[in-house]
Amino acid sequence: MFTLDWFANFGFSTLRLSTPLIFAALAAVINRKAGMLNMALEGMMLSAALGGVVFAGATGNVWIGLLGAVVVSVIVGWIIAFANLSGQTDLYLTCIAVNLAATGGTVFAMFLITGEKATTSAAIKAYVLPSITIPLINKIPLIGPMISGHNVLTYFAFISVFLVWFFLYKTRLGLRMRAVGENPKAASSVGINVKKIGYISFLYAGVLCGFGGAFMSMGWVSFFMKNMVNGRGYIGLSAMNIAEGNPVGSAIAAVFFGFSDALATTLKSQGGNFPTEFLDMIPYAATIIALVVISSIRMSHLKKIQRGGK
Amino acid sequence: MNKTRKIEMTVELIRILVAVGIAYVIALVTLFLISDDPVYIIQQFVLGPFSSVRRVGSIINLAIPFTFTGLCFCFMYAVNKFNLAGEGIFMFSGCMVTWVAINLGEGLPFPIMLLILLIVGAVTGIVIIAIPAFLDAKFKANIVVVSLMLNSILVFLSIWVLKYQMRDPSIGSMGSYPLPDNAVLPNVFGKFRIQAGLFIAVIAVIAVAVLFYKMVFGYKMRVVGSNPLFAKACGINMMGTIVAAQLIGGALAGIGGTCEILGNYDRFKWVASTQHGFDGLMVAVLARRNPLLVPVAALLLAYIRIGADVVNSKGDIPIEFITVIQGIVILLVAAEEFMGRFKKKMIYKAAAEGLAADKKEEVEELMADTKDEGKEQ
Repeated sequence: MFTLDWFANFGFSTLRLSTPLIFAALAAVINRKAGMLNMALEGMMLSAALGGVVFAGATGNVWIGLLGAVVVSVIVGWIIAFANLSGQTDLYLTCIAVNLAATGGTVFAMFLITGEKATTSAAIKAYVLPSITIPLINKIPLIGPMISGHNVLTYFAFISVFLVWFFLYKTRLGLRMRAVGENPKAASSVGINVKKIGYISFLYAGVLCGFGGAFMSMGWVSFFMKNMVNGRGYIGLSAMNIAEGNPVGSAIAAVFFGFSDALATTLKSQGGNFPTEFLDMIPYAATIIALVVISSIRMSHLKKIQRGGK
Repeated sequence: MNKTRKIEMTVELIRILVAVGIAYVIALVTLFLISDDPVYIIQQFVLGPFSSVRRVGSIINLAIPFTFTGLCFCFMYAVNKFNLAGEGIFMFSGCMVTWVAINLGEGLPFPIMLLILLIVGAVTGIVIIAIPAFLDAKFKANIVVVSLMLNSILVFLSIWVLKYQMRDPSIGSMGSYPLPDNAVLPNVFGKFRIQAGLFIAVIAVIAVAVLFYKMVFGYKMRVVGSNPLFAKACGINMMGTIVAAQLIGGALAGIGGTCEILGNYDRFKWVASTQHGFDGLMVAVLARRNPLLVPVAALLLAYIRIGADVVNSKGDIPIEFITVIQGIVILLVAAEEFMGRFKKKMIYKAAAEGLAADKKEEVEELMADTKDEGKEQ
C-alpha cells in the first residue's frame, strides 16, 4: 500500500485539494487585514463556480469562463461590501444571508439555465483549465509526479500567496489597508478613506474567491454541482484565523487542511470496513481541533503576558 | 414608554413590513419573468397556500419547527453569539430520538414515552450546542466556524447512526425502523392535520417570553447582548450568562427536531441537513429577537414556503428561489441604514414638537406665576 507511487499520489492530491482552501484563506486574509471577518467566502466561491461554468459554456472559452467566475464573485463581494459599509448591516448576518442566498440562488440559476437541479454536467459542455507539466522536474521520482502536472490555478494559488504578501506589506495601498484594520478611526484621521479601503478589500477578496470557485468547477471537476464548495470557504476562513491573518501562515494552514481532506479521500477510496461517514468528518473535525489548539495556545500566551505585566 | 422609543418601535415594525414587502415583490417579479404562465403561477403562489384546508394545516405544521429554531436563535441573537449549531442539532436530535424510541419499544405509555423523548431531544441539543459555546467562551475559537463545521460533522454522524444502528433493510430507500406507535404525536384538529407538537411550541413560546421579559436571567441576558461593557460594570457573570443562554437555545432546537420527527414522520429518513436552523435564524431576525413575534414570523415564512411548494409542484419552478428571497429579507431587516433617515426624521420631528410643547408649558407656567404674583401684590 505505502509505495512510492502512493506517496506521490497522496502529495499530488494534497496540493490539489489545498488549492481552493488557499484562495479562500488569502481572500480572508485581505478582508481581515482591512478589519473585517468575511464569512461569505463560501457563497462567493459557490457563485463563482457556477459563473465559471456558465460563461465558459456560453462562449466556448475557458479563460472567459475564468473571467466570468471572477466577475460573479466580485459582484457578490460588492453586495456584501455595499450592505455592510454603506447600509450598516451586521457583517456576520450579512455574510450568513449571502451564503444562504448563494446556496439556493446557484441552484435556481442553474435550473433556469439548464433545467437541471443537481449538476450542469449533462447540459453544459465541460471545460477544464489546462494543466501544466513542468519540464525537468517531472522527471524526478516522487517529487516530480507530486509537483508537476497540476492545474494552472494550483500554481497560481501558490504564486498568489506571494502576491498577497507583497501587496499587504510592500505597497502603499496594503499599508493603508493594514492601518484601517488596526484602527479605522486613526486611519481616517490621517486622511484614509476607510470605506473605500473596505470596498477594495472586498474587490480583491472577490477576485481570489473567483479563482477558488473556478478551480472547483473547472479544475477539480468539470461541472457545477449543487453545494459543491461544501464548507471549504469556512475552512479557508479558519486557516486565516489560525495564522492570525498572516498570508504565508494562512497558506500553510490551508495546505494542512488540504492534507486532511486528501487523507479522507484517499482512505475512502481504499475501502475497508471502516464507515466512510467518519472519514468524511476528518476535514471538519481537523478544522475545529486546529482552531481550538491554536486559540488555546494564544490565550495562554496572552495570560502569560498579563501575568508578566503585573 | 417615552416618545422616542415609541417611534423607534413603530419604525421598526414598518421597516420589517417594508422589507418583507420588497422581498415579496421581488419574488413575484421573478416568478413573472421566468414562468410561461405568470398570472396562474402568481395566483398559485399568493393564494395557493389557502386553497385547501390541508394546505392551511401544512402552513401551521411547517411553522412549528420554524418556531422552535426561531426561539433557539432568539437566544443566540440576544447574547450576540452566532452559534449556528441549531441547524445540525435539529437533524441530530431527530436521529437520537428515533434511536431511543426504537430501542425503548412499545412498552411505555404515551405520556411517559413522550416526556422521555422530549428530554432526550433537549439533552442532545444542550450537549451539542455546548461544544461551540464552551470553545468560544474558553478559547475564543470563532463560534461561527466551529458551529458550522460541527453541523457538517453532525450530518455525517446522523447518517452513520441511521445506516449502522437502525436502518430498516426491508424498505428500499434509506430509512430507520418505524417509530413505535406510542411515540408518534397524533394529528389534531381533524381535517387540518396539524401535529400535536403545536401545543409544545405554544408552551415553549410562552415560557421563553416569560424568561425573556419577566425573569432576572432574561434581563441579564439582554443586557449582556446589547451592552457588554455595562453588563460587566454591573457585575453580571458574562461568560455564564452567554453560555447558559446558548444551552437553552440548543435545548429548544433539540425539542424542535423531536417534535418534527414524532409529529410528521413515521421513521427517520433525513440524509441531508434540513435547513431548519437557517430558517430559524431568519425567523429570529424578522421577529427582532422578540420571542412573542417568533410565531408570527414563522407563520409568514411557512406561508411563503408553502406558496413556493405549490408553485414548485404546479409550474415546475424550483423552490430554491425562496432562499434568495430569504437572504434579501435578512439583509434589508439587518440594514440599519435602510429607512434609517426616515427614523431619524421622525425622532427629530417628535423631539422638536416635544421641545415646542415644553416651551409652551414653560411660558404658560411663567405667565401663571406672574399672574399669581400680581394677585398677591
